[in-house]
Amino acid sequence: MSWALIAGGSKGLGYSIAEALCKRHYNLVLVARERNGLLAAEKKLEERYPIEVRIISCDLSLPDSVAVIHDYCVNEGLVLNILCNAAGMGGAIDFPELPLNDLRKMVSVNLDSAIALSFSLLTLLKTHAPSYILNIGSMAGFAPFPIKNVYSASKAAILYFSYSLDQQLRDSNISVSCLCPGPLFTKPEIERETIKKLKWLGKQMNLDVQMVGEWAVRDMLKKKKLIIPGKLVKIMSFILRVLPARFMAHLIYRYGYKAG
Amino acid sequence: MKYLWVISLILFSSDRIYAQSDSEIKIPMDTTKPYALIAGGSKGIGYGIAVALAKRNYNLILIARHLDTLLAAKHKLESAYPIHVEILAIDLSFDNSADEIAKWCKGKNIHLKVLCNVAGLGGANDYLSFPLDSLRYMVRLNIESCMALSLTLLPLLEKNAPSYILNVASMAGFAPIPVKNMYSATKSAVVFFSYSLRYQLKDKHISVSCLCPGPVFTKPEIVKDTKEKLGWFGMKMALDPGTVGEAAVKKTFKKKLIIVPGTLASISASVIRFLPRRWVVSLYGSAGKKSKNKIASK
Repeated sequence: MSWALIAGGSKGLGYSIAEALCKRHYNLVLVARERNGLLAAEKKLEERYPIEVRIISCDLSLPDSVAVIHDYCVNEGLVLNILCNAAGMGGAIDFPELPLNDLRKMVSVNLDSAIALSFSLLTLLKTHAPSYILNIGSMAGFAPFPIKNVYSASKAAILYFSYSLDQQLRDSNISVSCLCPGPLFTKPEIERETIKKLKWLGKQMNLDVQMVGEWAVRDMLKKKKLIIPGKLVKIMSFILRVLPARFMAHLIYRYGYKAG
Repeated sequence: MKYLWVISLILFSSDRIYAQSDSEIKIPMDTTKPYALIAGGSKGIGYGIAVALAKRNYNLILIARHLDTLLAAKHKLESAYPIHVEILAIDLSFDNSADEIAKWCKGKNIHLKVLCNVAGLGGANDYLSFPLDSLRYMVRLNIESCMALSLTLLPLLEKNAPSYILNVASMAGFAPIPVKNMYSATKSAVVFFSYSLRYQLKDKHISVSCLCPGPVFTKPEIVKDTKEKLGWFGMKMALDPGTVGEAAVKKTFKKKLIIVPGTLASISASVIRFLPRRWVVSLYGSAGKKSKNKIASK
């Protein structure tokens, strides 16, 4: 049976992706920071689906974690087919107010961990090809969001990385997809923040996390490069990408400034 | 708010008059001049920017890894221009570098007006052929050091407003280039960061610019690589670091956001930004493959 590794798979979007993969009979390796969240997710998934779930609890912002994960997969001889980089860090506080340590953590969780995990698990994915890599970007990666400066920059880098990697791995039969969702209310803080900043538009754009996970897995297996869930989010992303970046940044800044 | 703006404008213009008159008298080692900090200023584009700033009578703080190249740069600049050059040999990829630099500047009570984040690492074939540590080093140097320095030096720049931040990205930041995967991803983050930062710091009278040059011949490897991958078009587009530095500094003081030096480079940049990303990626991808085949057939 094939395995899927989900970084950040104990909660939120990562968990819904895990569930969608379970439905397709993939065994799972879940990686997250907190052991309790992992154990709960393991229990829930193993009860509902006839699959095996393994857990690794480590902090992906630390540079050694990638080696731990790689060694585990190799030692256990897992037939790894899918890698999903769902670990991410966001938040309402960004650049000028953000402490330096949090800034570094955000860059290393959002960007560095995805790059390093894809890199070190590449040989494993290659030997079990056809395989799939799913990176999680964001709508904020399509245009600079001044109110979410570092987040938006790191997600833009993930988007670029996914595009390039897909092209680079075309010959080795590994498909790379990038999921770019709009606001998802996975935490109550996000719901509050989004409604405050984007008003009804934010509420309209919100989607059920489970649906997003399901769509993401479905489109990933279809080898789609860019996955944007939801009609309204699709329209918004199109606008973000077509209009000049400076105009968008200005607009978003004005809009966010008024709300904040 | 309006008064503040007017006052700062007067201060700024008086500063410029002062700088002009100063260049006529040529007093050596005047530490009352405004300072410009250049991270990665000992070689390449960084040195080009340093020369352009020295011409405009700025004292310089150069930061780089190697002390010998820093000393050489200091010697050259101080003998050619009536300015004072401070040097700091620090590896910008370390966690505490940004804090240390900010502390040093505060301790010396430096009148900092310009911050240039030039330090960066690139390569011809990065993601699949580099070791993991180099990939990490790229993320730390290209993105993190730029964000961290801007953050730690922000209070100082705010105090001396109007001031300038110049981040150096690349044309690779406008669209993903598969053979330069990491480089183009990290540079896109710098472009996004600069856009956002400009709006965030607008009210503080700090102007943020982002230099996105095409190929710049800073090293002999780059000349060879450009010839192989981009052909005559790349050779036509390429510039030398001196020209790039001069254009960058000129436009930074004009408060331009995106700076693409060279006519041909700026035309290609606008084409790249206008086309859908997917097209550009496959275009770049096929160009990369062609050059690989060429090398193999040789």
